[in-house]
Amino acid sequence: MDFSLGSFADLFAHAFSLWWIIIPAIFVGIIAGAVPGFAAHNTIIILLPLTLAFNVEVALTFMVALYCASHLGGGIPAILVNIPGTGGAAATTLDGYQMTKKGLAVRALAVSFVASVLGGLISSLITLVALPALSQVGYYVHSVEMVVIMLFGLALIASIAAKDMLKGLIAGVLGLLLGAMGADHIYATPRGTFGILELFDGIPLVPALIGLFAVSEALVMLEEKSIVEGGTANVGKVTWGETFHEIFGAFRHWWNITWTSILGLLIGVLPGAGASIAAFVAYQQTQFFSKHPERFGTGIPEGVSAPESANNGVTTGTLVPLLAIGVPGGSTAAVMMIVLQFHGVPFGPRLFVEQPQLAYGVIVSMAVSYILMIFTIFPMVKYMSRITVISTLYLAPFICAFTLVGAFVPRGFLFDIGIALAFGVLGFVARKTGYHVAAILIGVILGPLIEKSFLLAMRISGNDPMVMFSSTIGNILWVMLVATLVLPYVFKWRRERRAGLEHDRLVESEG
Amino acid sequence: MSSRFRVSRRQFLASSAAGAAALTLPGRAAFAQSFPDHNINITIPTGEGGGADRDVRLITQIWKKYLNTDFEFGYYPGAAGQVGYEFFMKREPDGYNLLFANMGPEVIMLTLQNVGIQLGKDLVYINQTSSEPMSVFVGKRSKFQSLQELVDEGKKRAITCSVSRLPHPASIGMLALGEATGANFNLVPFGGGNPSAMAAITGEVDCCALPFANPITLGSEVRILGVFSDKNPAPDQSGDAPTVNSVFGTKLPELTSSRGFAVQAAAMEKFPDRIETIKKTCAQVLADPDYVEAVQKAGLPKEFIDPGDQQKAMSTAEATRELAEKYRALLTGK
Repeated sequence: MDFSLGSFADLFAHAFSLWWIIIPAIFVGIIAGAVPGFAAHNTIIILLPLTLAFNVEVALTFMVALYCASHLGGGIPAILVNIPGTGGAAATTLDGYQMTKKGLAVRALAVSFVASVLGGLISSLITLVALPALSQVGYYVHSVEMVVIMLFGLALIASIAAKDMLKGLIAGVLGLLLGAMGADHIYATPRGTFGILELFDGIPLVPALIGLFAVSEALVMLEEKSIVEGGTANVGKVTWGETFHEIFGAFRHWWNITWTSILGLLIGVLPGAGASIAAFVAYQQTQFFSKHPERFGTGIPEGVSAPESANNGVTTGTLVPLLAIGVPGGSTAAVMMIVLQFHGVPFGPRLFVEQPQLAYGVIVSMAVSYILMIFTIFPMVKYMSRITVISTLYLAPFICAFTLVGAFVPRGFLFDIGIALAFGVLGFVARKTGYHVAAILIGVILGPLIEKSFLLAMRISGNDPMVMFSSTIGNILWVMLVATLVLPYVFKWRRERRAGLEHDRLVESEG
Repeated sequence: MSSRFRVSRRQFLASSAAGAAALTLPGRAAFAQSFPDHNINITIPTGEGGGADRDVRLITQIWKKYLNTDFEFGYYPGAAGQVGYEFFMKREPDGYNLLFANMGPEVIMLTLQNVGIQLGKDLVYINQTSSEPMSVFVGKRSKFQSLQELVDEGKKRAITCSVSRLPHPASIGMLALGEATGANFNLVPFGGGNPSAMAAITGEVDCCALPFANPITLGSEVRILGVFSDKNPAPDQSGDAPTVNSVFGTKLPELTSSRGFAVQAAAMEKFPDRIETIKKTCAQVLADPDYVEAVQKAGLPKEFIDPGDQQKAMSTAEATRELAEKYRALLTGK
């Protein structure tokens, strides 16, 4: 793994020379990410015959550029129409769409793009210099630790439920119950499937996401002429000057972007974890460390930058196990492994020994893809925000038709369109009665993942529940989790107490 | 009537059959040429990026030149392959729909999970493309240097062993090993070959049992301790790992997982000529040097290529079914 600075400079120069494949991949990736159902790995599988025809270097560059762009693309509909393109963008809806409703779509998009690009770039550069260290993370984080990490994401339900704790918890528990459907992890015994084959693998995420967010949002949307509060009159034409002002302004959140992208990178390195977990945890932690946690969910830039930088931090993370050990960390990495095998290229440590320029070249291609996104995607902020001025009369049916096709795509079951419609009705009722659809979705996404890790930990320990407190890292995470849940209430109590004392003092001094 | 015009009944029947065959031959040839006239769908009951996906793509890459068509892949993982099988049975039985089976684990699944699909009656494995034995391995940082050490430790405490899923030949192998040696193995199903291997490499579990190709492709990251077969088919690529029986003097059955194609029995009845074309051309692929080269290029031993006809594939399936019945209680927890 002896690689000099000059070699890295050569790699960057070489990656830039592949702009002709990176730029089309960026556009395909953004579309794939923005349309629910066409996630990166689906698209890469569809395009596999094409990538197998390329030489291995071009094929990998194409795939990583598409993969990175798809993570950025997922945030666009989340912000503009409250529909996350991927599970990783679900947390972005919480503040992104609220900003759009306030007529701040341009700002939200600018923050999202800057956070995605900067987050992805930071994590790829860190991976480039710290790959050996990052590859060690998996040695210390096992099923027990994964349970606690995912509980951080689940804790977001409590934050969402802050305004109405009972309804928030009911929504979260409903999501967890729905997520428990399907064959059990150990003996593959079907639970709650009603004998329906299509439910044996659990509630499919994409149709559930489309139903809860897209279909229900389309139904709610129809009640107003515009998705912007007060009508489209509040959305003026955006000039180039204003666009770049918002883009440069988004860099103010550089510190939040930096640490949440590192968080995303570390979560991405863990096998079985992914962008959804990273985004939920990043949002929850940003709220925890914020000076004004009560403003989260009302439409603030930090609520967009945190999940977006985290889910782009995941992109390089998922490649670490494949590159360093030879085991793919996620479905996209698994497809990349097929391409490597087809071309007879080794993976894992042998890749660094036999073809270091290719091993490091993959990570450099990621960094270069993010750099090229600055020039290709940033200007699109100006035009994308115009979607919000389209009348809901056209927008709602278009969303329904388009996303229902997306519900069908991942598995090819017509049944999945039915699931999307059922979840659409559930989402609509939830919205109209004050239940938070994001809380339901968090349960649906994280429920099965937590269950799997929990069952694995229990099985490994011979069903000893104390295994949950058997590792040092796990115990540190438990303490942090409890602190995350309890401290906001302590701080709030202290603030209210101080305010009360202040008030008493004022009354006394006036008296 | 002179004797030279006299035709015996046997001669008449023979010549009639020959005539009929001659008459039908051009038609059959024309029909054979017309199949396939569109893409062939292949159902894969596991996820994308796994071993089955890799193998089927290697085969179809060469198959195109014999069948002159393209292939479309559908991935239907879930419930140990049950989702894929049930979905496949709903597809049109017309020879354009094939299932690429991971026979070992999937026959066990069909046996244990009351799926309602009967081998031979509803579904037929029409050929076998590859076979590989099961293996047991540890991560390179593991303290266990040999299978003997692992089993010795297993007599003192439960050894955790990651497996892809419980209904799997590798799981049966570990249970059989435990039964034969008195060692205690706690099988932990990680839901796929990659996460199972990762659990062993990172030390979350003591060892891992998977098909032989998995540890071979992982190279120096793992140490292969034993192979569940009578002979190690790839000694050079596995550090000359011993067979389990040779270490303990046991007589465990060979535990292999064969891959191959299956069709609905109804397709065989309705379109026997199409299925014959599939079988014949697939056999040509397996004998093609380009295919052998592609397999080796993918880092797999060419010894794993194990062509077999329908009879061989169905016998393999039957042997696996018997093993599954034998270990039913341990594999189902009932």
